[in-house]
Amino acid sequence: MLSVLVHAAPPPLPAEHLSVQQLPPKSPHWVYVYDEAFDNEIDARVHLFDGDSYRRLGQIDAGFLPSVSLSPDGTTTAVATTYFARGSRGARTDVVEFTDNATLATTGEIVLPSKRAQTSPTIFNMGYSTDGHFLYAAYLTPAASFGVLDPARRAVLGEIDTAGCVLVIPWGANRVSSLCESGRLLTVTLDAQGHETARALSEPFFDPDRDPVFVQGVPTARGYAFLSFLGEVHELDLSGGQPAFAQPWSLVSAAEQGRWRPGAAQVGAVHRGLGRLYVPMHQGGEGTHKDGGTEIWVFDMAAHRRLARWPMQPAGLSRVLAVQASQDSAPILFAATDAADVAVFDALTGKLRHVERHLGQTPWMMLNP
Amino acid sequence: MRSLDHLFEHSSRSLARRTSRRSLLASLGQLLTGAALLPLLPVDRGGRAWGSEAKPDSPESCEYWKYCAIDGFLCSCCGGTSSSCPPGTATSPITWIGTCHNPGDGRDYIVSYNDCCGKTSCGNCECNRNEREKPMYRPSRNNDLNWCMANADSNYHCSVSVILGVAEK
Repeated sequence: MLSVLVHAAPPPLPAEHLSVQQLPPKSPHWVYVYDEAFDNEIDARVHLFDGDSYRRLGQIDAGFLPSVSLSPDGTTTAVATTYFARGSRGARTDVVEFTDNATLATTGEIVLPSKRAQTSPTIFNMGYSTDGHFLYAAYLTPAASFGVLDPARRAVLGEIDTAGCVLVIPWGANRVSSLCESGRLLTVTLDAQGHETARALSEPFFDPDRDPVFVQGVPTARGYAFLSFLGEVHELDLSGGQPAFAQPWSLVSAAEQGRWRPGAAQVGAVHRGLGRLYVPMHQGGEGTHKDGGTEIWVFDMAAHRRLARWPMQPAGLSRVLAVQASQDSAPILFAATDAADVAVFDALTGKLRHVERHLGQTPWMMLNP
Repeated sequence: MRSLDHLFEHSSRSLARRTSRRSLLASLGQLLTGAALLPLLPVDRGGRAWGSEAKPDSPESCEYWKYCAIDGFLCSCCGGTSSSCPPGTATSPITWIGTCHNPGDGRDYIVSYNDCCGKTSCGNCECNRNEREKPMYRPSRNNDLNWCMANADSNYHCSVSVILGVAEK
């Protein structure tokens, strides 16, 4: 009887070999999730998440109140951050660290002057020129300026004073725009060495007193869309030699204005091929612009027409603080909530495919190439 | 509510435009001496306005009237009070100023939103309120910035709201 039992037992597991997992080939459904780790803020990270397998693929460490950008070709993640010599205290070092997105290994760094803007995540805290030749980092001391960096030679090329205008909106090979308190756009043009050759101030394109725009711009096919607190869409065309501003249009009807409004940390996403805009919307008054969306509204940007409203509560989701869309022909819309969940929707139909619970601690921005 | 609110906004705006970086902090320090040589500002935060379960009239509640545009962790829950930093932290020499309504006496008060610096984030009583808060291109009204930025140790710990006086009607 004993021998029968012994023979029925499965064979033992083979010995294992300790190794380091390699990333699979990159996918348009990957998303880089910025986690500020707000409860212990010196330990921010970027989680790489796959919207098809619903797995975390790896992590990029990001220090204190970081700025994060992907290179235009998607091969590199740049993280500008601050370290303190003794962990949470001590001498401050500001640095840009580069990670190879094929391996998630750190490949180099550029030490910055201790001026880096330490603020909530936006895509304009740091950014690459269109050709990847320059990297620009916003400074705030609180005087405003930006650093011009050479990511290939790992060097700081210089610093440009922006006269009170903030953040870096890169366009073309050598232009950087910043948002000004007057509602204007300051645009600085650089030469091949990263030195300023010209600057120009636009006419005001929004009214910062009556209806300010969120600084979190949304990349469009020809530039960026800036949403206002009351739901106006200001489209900025950067495809020509000068910034061009389209006539604003509204996310809300006259009856909805002042009651429904956009609100989030990352307040919009665009599928550039389809021309669809996704916005977290909520009901609320003045001062609720960071409250997060109870619904995601979908718009046809060319027709200025709302296509759908996707309520979050029936999906078991709390307020949406960040959205991002994949750019392929079978697109995904990612939505991160104030409960740190990341939902994966079919961006064409709104069908909920998956909810990844607790993807980090405070996922306030999501990036993809 | 003209007042300090307006004054500070105007002053900081012109400072940012006219002043060199080297002298800006010194000037801001002079501006605030006598008002509040205190810390700073609230660092950002998404939308997790949890606070504690304290009642709305408690300084440990996010609903407390003085916190109408605070964004960060309440120092009241971290070893300090609504107007003092926790032991071992440092105040910062720059701040931003707003106005909150006190339903207790019906008055509007000018408050400075200050950050306490030098230790990592407290992690208790997160509070995110944004009455009259404006984006970063108007820094004198913005609570996303780490106002510990100019401290020798710029680490952010928690935020307070300090009464400066009654707002003029």
